[in-house]
Amino acid sequence: MAPLEGLNTSYLKDQSLKKLLNLLEGVRGKKSLVLDRALSGSVGLIAKFSTLQDYGVDTIFWLQDGVIEHTKLQKNVVVLCNATSRNARLVAAQVQANSTIPGGEFEHSVFLVPRRTLVFEKILEEQGVLGDVTIGEYPLYFIPLEPDLLSLELESSFEELYLRKDYTSIFYSAKALMELQQKFGLFPRIIGKGDLAWKLAETLMRMRNEVVVDEGLGPLDLAPSSIIENIVIIERGVDPVTPLLTQLTYEGLIDETFGIKHSKVELDPTIIGAGPTPAPNAASSSSNTPITTTATKKRTVNLDSSDTLYEELRDTNFTVVGNILNKIALRLSADYEGRHQAKTVTEIRQFVSKLSGLQQEHASLKVHTGMAEEITKTTRSDFFNKCLEVQQNLAAGSDPSSQNGSISELMMRGTPVETVLRLLTLESVLCNGLRPKDLDNFKREVRHAYGHQHILTLDALEKMGLLLPKHPASLARTNYNTVRKNLNLIVDEVNEQDPDDIAYVYSGYAPLSIRLVQCVVQKDALGLAGSKGKGHVTGGSGWRGFEEAIRGVGGRTFDEIQSGEDKAVRARMILNGYNERKLTVVFFLGGCTFTEIAALRFLAKKDAGKREILICTTGIINGDKMMKAAIPNLKH
Amino acid sequence: MASSSPTDGWELVENHFYRKIQSYTGLWEEDPLDLSEYLVAAAPYGGALALYRTDTEPRAYRGTQQKPSIDLYTCSGKPIRKLPWDKGVVKGLGWSDDEKLLVITADGKVRCYHDLQGDFSQFTLGYGTETHGVRDVRFWSSGFVALTGDNRLIAVSRYDEPRPRLLADPEVPQETPIHSWAIVPPAYTLSRHVEVFLAVEKTIYIVDQTEVQNQMMDQGPFLHISVSPNGNLTALYSESERVWVVSTDFQNKWSEVDVGMGGTHPIDMVWCSNDSVVLAWQDEVQMMGPNGIALRYFYDDRVHVLPDVDGVKLLSGGKLEFLQKVPDILEEIFRIGSTSPASVLLDAIDQLEKESPKADDDIQLIRQQLPEAVNSCIQAAGYEFNVHWQKQLLKAASFGKSVLELYNSDEFVEMTETLRVLNAVRYYEVGMPLTYDQYLRLTPEKLIERLLNRQQHLFALRISEYLHLATAPKIYIHWACLKVRHSSLPEDEICRTIVDKLSSQPGISFEEVARTAFNEGRGHLATQLLNYEPRAGKQVPLLLSMEEDDIALDKAIESGDTDLIQFVLMHLKKKLPLAQFFRVVNPRPVAYSLIESEARQDDRELLKDLYYQDDRRADGAYVVLEEALMADELPKELDKLSLTTKLLSDSKLHLVDAAAISEFSALLTFQENLERILASPYLHLSLNDTALQLLKQNHSTQANKLKSEFKIPDTTYTYLRLRAWIHRRDWPAIEEYSIKNKKSPIGWVPFFEELANAKQPKVAALFVEKCGGAPRERMERWERIGMVVEACKVAIQVGDWAAVEELKVKLKNEGERREVERLVEGKKRR
Repeated sequence: MAPLEGLNTSYLKDQSLKKLLNLLEGVRGKKSLVLDRALSGSVGLIAKFSTLQDYGVDTIFWLQDGVIEHTKLQKNVVVLCNATSRNARLVAAQVQANSTIPGGEFEHSVFLVPRRTLVFEKILEEQGVLGDVTIGEYPLYFIPLEPDLLSLELESSFEELYLRKDYTSIFYSAKALMELQQKFGLFPRIIGKGDLAWKLAETLMRMRNEVVVDEGLGPLDLAPSSIIENIVIIERGVDPVTPLLTQLTYEGLIDETFGIKHSKVELDPTIIGAGPTPAPNAASSSSNTPITTTATKKRTVNLDSSDTLYEELRDTNFTVVGNILNKIALRLSADYEGRHQAKTVTEIRQFVSKLSGLQQEHASLKVHTGMAEEITKTTRSDFFNKCLEVQQNLAAGSDPSSQNGSISELMMRGTPVETVLRLLTLESVLCNGLRPKDLDNFKREVRHAYGHQHILTLDALEKMGLLLPKHPASLARTNYNTVRKNLNLIVDEVNEQDPDDIAYVYSGYAPLSIRLVQCVVQKDALGLAGSKGKGHVTGGSGWRGFEEAIRGVGGRTFDEIQSGEDKAVRARMILNGYNERKLTVVFFLGGCTFTEIAALRFLAKKDAGKREILICTTGIINGDKMMKAAIPNLKH
Repeated sequence: MASSSPTDGWELVENHFYRKIQSYTGLWEEDPLDLSEYLVAAAPYGGALALYRTDTEPRAYRGTQQKPSIDLYTCSGKPIRKLPWDKGVVKGLGWSDDEKLLVITADGKVRCYHDLQGDFSQFTLGYGTETHGVRDVRFWSSGFVALTGDNRLIAVSRYDEPRPRLLADPEVPQETPIHSWAIVPPAYTLSRHVEVFLAVEKTIYIVDQTEVQNQMMDQGPFLHISVSPNGNLTALYSESERVWVVSTDFQNKWSEVDVGMGGTHPIDMVWCSNDSVVLAWQDEVQMMGPNGIALRYFYDDRVHVLPDVDGVKLLSGGKLEFLQKVPDILEEIFRIGSTSPASVLLDAIDQLEKESPKADDDIQLIRQQLPEAVNSCIQAAGYEFNVHWQKQLLKAASFGKSVLELYNSDEFVEMTETLRVLNAVRYYEVGMPLTYDQYLRLTPEKLIERLLNRQQHLFALRISEYLHLATAPKIYIHWACLKVRHSSLPEDEICRTIVDKLSSQPGISFEEVARTAFNEGRGHLATQLLNYEPRAGKQVPLLLSMEEDDIALDKAIESGDTDLIQFVLMHLKKKLPLAQFFRVVNPRPVAYSLIESEARQDDRELLKDLYYQDDRRADGAYVVLEEALMADELPKELDKLSLTTKLLSDSKLHLVDAAAISEFSALLTFQENLERILASPYLHLSLNDTALQLLKQNHSTQANKLKSEFKIPDTTYTYLRLRAWIHRRDWPAIEEYSIKNKKSPIGWVPFFEELANAKQPKVAALFVEKCGGAPRERMERWERIGMVVEACKVAIQVGDWAAVEELKVKLKNEGERREVERLVEGKKRR
């Protein structure tokens, strides 16, 4: 995927890698790296294991319960972890254990992600090891997964925001966005929906003032951007329906079926063939590190735009994937046949030079055909179709009681608990709650089918507002009955081959979150009375024209203008040029799905040449992950 | 002003000129000091001088015993401050690049004075220095290395968070003298960590953090070692009065010189910039070029040689001089007989002043190189100390650029501004003899900091404005802090003055001022000032130390920074009784959830207390339920479960949940029983899975018992039976069931589906007609299990000819096709 013209995000990766290597370089000699599991994915996206080796890392351990035996450690121990209290205690325990070794003389360095915190230091102090540890920070915020997609890779942000009411991820999001603003200028307009989204906007605006004091910036240093037109902040809680539905794009279905983690998927070799072993990187195991996978050797496949075939397939509806694969297979075999035409030495040489590209494509085709076949097995099953039927009926607003029988039947047949909970919560969210009698019945059925520990799950879902007894529409977070009509969420005629609306990603349902973005950036596409702003307005026209239509969507609606001194704005325009092409940043607080990414790319493609969209998110989410947030994680 | 020649004091050494400039004279005029009694250290970049009188030598009685002190002066001898000193023998006195004074005592205590006003922080070196003592110390720009009594080396590389580290052990016995030693600053070593050269016996050891390397030399013992400022070269002075200059890696020798002073060894040897080595005796200074001693200067009394980045300062008898290599650009212009374009341009201005037409001749002569000449004149002005010549050079540049058609004057303007600042700070009242190079390295911002340390606020502000620096807020804050510290006005008035002055400035942090007020014991003033702080987060730590707990918590919440909130909460939890702690937390939802989520992870008792005091019965009960689920043995689990039930039953709202938990206990007991009877694992399966497992293993009695005891609905039970049969591939059982029962609680469709999925068309066929449904559905079912003929039969029966045509294609063989044709005929005939 080509970088965005307005804003090249590749610097983020380089910058993060450089910072990491600088930290490692600061510790002399060979070192053992103790890594927080939660960070392994992010670090893996930044640095290869071999690069870390070049910088003296000789072994990698996980930071987890239980102390690492000192004989396995180098004298230099480098810990890279999130700044959580739990990690602080683990680090303290390790340091204490190492200090009892006579003649050990270990040097401990701890690098906290994304910043040093008072609490972490306080805990080390309480455990009496603060003096024995050198503390630094590794400011890792946004990681570019693709040129148009930045993620904080905060996996538990949804759980923290909605179940624990812990707003750390809002603060980190603000920090990350502030960094973008410092680099590219202030977002001229901050538009958004949702109470937590507003909290983020508020924090961001306050941070702007604080940065001026902190870094002693002049008025010219933080002027509104001439590259970015606006930012739209969408909070997951405003639209829980979208991730609860089964994603129907290729990438979405890969995620639903196998689970994509940090742009990678682990597959059983029986699906795609053994293939060459991928080069080991920081996160994956390697023979000389103590981290070894105990399960059967799975094959890791990178899913990103470096694979051109995947690039072509990822955002299409799954129904057309088979066709595309077919076509490509035909073309490939034709290309291979080209060798027969090659008669002269030059022609043969030309063919050979193409060969490695062909082989690569061939390998990728094999992988994707394998995956698509495996997914087809699922999509053909009557479980899958029953779920899909229930989902689509509910989304379209049909009587929920007619669906209850199907949900019960799925439970009796032993469908995975997440799938069933997704349907139940979907019904609750779409229909403003379940009838109390139905709710009690379902709860009992869940307990009986999946175990009584799910009393806790059901309680958590209730706390998250996802599974509630019937309540008046006015109390609902988002009232789908009005929104469905106002924003045209259900599109009956969907052309999956050559889509004309974002609804193709769910074969008929348009994600509410993306409709909201459209209200801001693509008003005419909604075909509704969006009055066009006259003349040049700072950062577009915000919600104008859709104030009524989005009334039913939960949470605060906001539209703030960040202005700067005129002089500064002009200076920036002169420096960067005033370009007609606009860039909108869409930020998902609480995570976004692959379908939403696909839909936004679809929007951007429609407006090609006029507008680009940079997608930012706290992480990638799907319905199963949302449900897992509620399911207690208990060790027996 | 008839000015002296610009080349006064220039002396030729080999191919280059050196110059000695009198920076200041008449130091300590009223009260002359005998410098031989003093340890002297000068801060880099023309910074302050620190003097400490040593007790090593006998000296003249001076009346009543003076209190020992470390005295700070400007380079022009103006006293800055007297720091009282009663901590014992000083072994090291040095400065950091940012003008922090470091004092290291014999027993390993280190004091770091942050400003020149006596504020300090203190730490100890440890590693046994309390007993062995410190012998000597060497400093670099941001750290130092101490040599201890037992010949170990301790390095400190930063002062904000000092962490003394022991370097590798050179294993030199305590009795073996270390003749001399030097350090290579981290910036100039390969490892980027400090390295130390130790002269032991006849050789030199190189010591770093991890290893010791013996250079195996035999020219020693070396009485002095000195590393050049850029770390490339090292000078060694041996007992045989010879000086070697070698590369710092000891691989190349650049020169070797016999000094030969007849047995008196110099007391010091330092580098003058990176070009030459200066040797100092009691009252004599010699400079050594590559081929031997080149310059000698004699003094009346003790001379101190104080190296700076681009030369050395010589301090002796009330005079401060600066010795440096003449910058190339000056040499190019002023050297006698120079014909460089810049030199010609300078002559032109001279002619112009004499109103001589030769001025134009000069210009025509260098027409081609004029831009270059202008630039040279501008640069040279920077390096010139004499104001007259600065002006002459700038005039020349100005004249030259007026002739040029296109010229960017930025550099010229910048240089005039810089020179104005340089001349101002060199003025003896300020006393900072900054050279142009030093100024560039120091940066204007750091210069402002130094002025602040000297309490020259107005001066600093003027420079800051003059150079358009963004340092104004810093100056105002510094000023305000001093005001808070020293003003005797009533607090309200102080607050008003400060706010009046500061509020007009953007980007001012009041927090720092408020903290100063608080540290001075002016609590009320601190609170007042803190209200003006724009950053909520910054107020928190101060508020905590002021014991304004509630406000601190509110401000932390306002900042949105969860780390701060948690920090305040940790602080409060430790400080307050639990009940009071909860009273503070309860009304603040953000804080409440943080405590809840934190406690869930690692303090379950606190979590229970939290729920109990807040009357959240069910949540409290669920904590116990979680514990039950995590219990490692069944009796414990059952105990916890009954406790959960009890807690839930307390409230009418949760009776359903209480019943569910009782049911859970019953199930566990039932499962335990099963395990005993059937000797296979059942515990912790869900109710349905338990039944399924029993059915799969054909324990129908137990399954039925389970069904009746836990009231499994018929629908569910039938499904489970079906799944178990399929699992066991017990097709006869399914057939039997279908014959025995007219109806099934779940209808017949699931039977068909499961059998079709299990690829059992024959058995599935039994159910197609039982399933009923529209003809099309029936056709589909037949087709799905591969019985297309049957599907056709249905189609024919209802006369759906379109369907028949579609299905015909899928027929497998001729026989089937013929049969279908026959049936069609039959139907049509009728």
